[in-house]
Amino acid sequence: MTFINYVAREINCKIVYYGPGLGGKTTNLQYLYDVTSADNKGKLISLATETERTLFFDFLPLDLGQIRGLRARFHLYTVPGQVFYDASRKLILRGVDGVIFVADSQEERLDANLESVSNLERNLKEHGFELAKIPYVLQLNKRDLPNAMTVEQLKKLLLVKGEPVFEAVATKGTGVLETLKAVARQVLVELRKSA
Amino acid sequence: MPAGRQPLTDPSNIVLYEAEYLRLKAVLAMTQKDLRADLVLLIDRSGQQIAFEGPARDVDMTALASLAAGNIAATDGLARLVGEPEFSILYHQGKHRSIHISDVAKRFSLVVVFDENVSLGMVRLKVKRATACLEEVFRGFMRKTETVDFTAKAPPGATPSIYFTDEEIDRLFSFLKPGG
Repeated sequence: MTFINYVAREINCKIVYYGPGLGGKTTNLQYLYDVTSADNKGKLISLATETERTLFFDFLPLDLGQIRGLRARFHLYTVPGQVFYDASRKLILRGVDGVIFVADSQEERLDANLESVSNLERNLKEHGFELAKIPYVLQLNKRDLPNAMTVEQLKKLLLVKGEPVFEAVATKGTGVLETLKAVARQVLVELRKSA
Repeated sequence: MPAGRQPLTDPSNIVLYEAEYLRLKAVLAMTQKDLRADLVLLIDRSGQQIAFEGPARDVDMTALASLAAGNIAATDGLARLVGEPEFSILYHQGKHRSIHISDVAKRFSLVVVFDENVSLGMVRLKVKRATACLEEVFRGFMRKTETVDFTAKAPPGATPSIYFTDEEIDRLFSFLKPGG
């Protein structure tokens, strides 16, 4: 749900990073936090367990700059990837404008990726959204690992609707900005299309 | 929305114009003054901050709005688990500061941060009055949002339009340099 505040001259959008546990969603946010200047970011909030697994969500507000005199502010959220936190995942999708699916490229995580995509579809439906219609990009993370499946294999199995695909190594920042940029672009285009 | 236009992905986008904003601010200011509250903050349920009043400007409002929305969402989940449609009020009592969160029009929430000199009963009373006023404002502005034309025909004072060009969207990211 985009919030356009003509008084503060702001557009506020909500982006959610979705995907299986330990896939690198929080690492994406951490990287964005690290490379963004203090003027363009707010506090990074992590509601995590003692072992740094996401318990509820991570949150990072980013200011992407001015467009037509309006400040484009993106609120980035991650969901907890672990299967048993489904109730929390569902809550975080409330009012979402765009979704980044962070897939773990490792072969042994394929089932977890597939389960998570289907879980995303189900949870979006509960909020009245259709995955086929909302801004959505696929990030193939952990491309540097030796047991990573090929891009072609992963695309064949994980693509939902011909969405943009980005290869990433989130720990090094590779592909992180490109992924965010792609979904932000889709959100803004969607807003334009609605006009 | 003009005929023939596609609806938004989520038809419930919010557009806030100055007239409504000032009315909302007036209600928050009245509540803040009556309670001498540290902060009175209005948020929507996805975690966007809409307006606030109060001297506690040192508080990170964006983070507060996001965490409050998460809190509300989790409490809603709890309510449904025990067969309640909702818990309309959340109250967190601290040693010096407390937080009272309440529902406004099923879509927004009013967050009041107050100190130990203010009684909870008084907070409840003033919040109830404020909620009725806020709901009245929201009814007007949701009607306006539903009918808004986002292009050049936007209502007076609503410019600039959001018909962004691709180049304009690209320029947004100019301060970020790809890593890797």
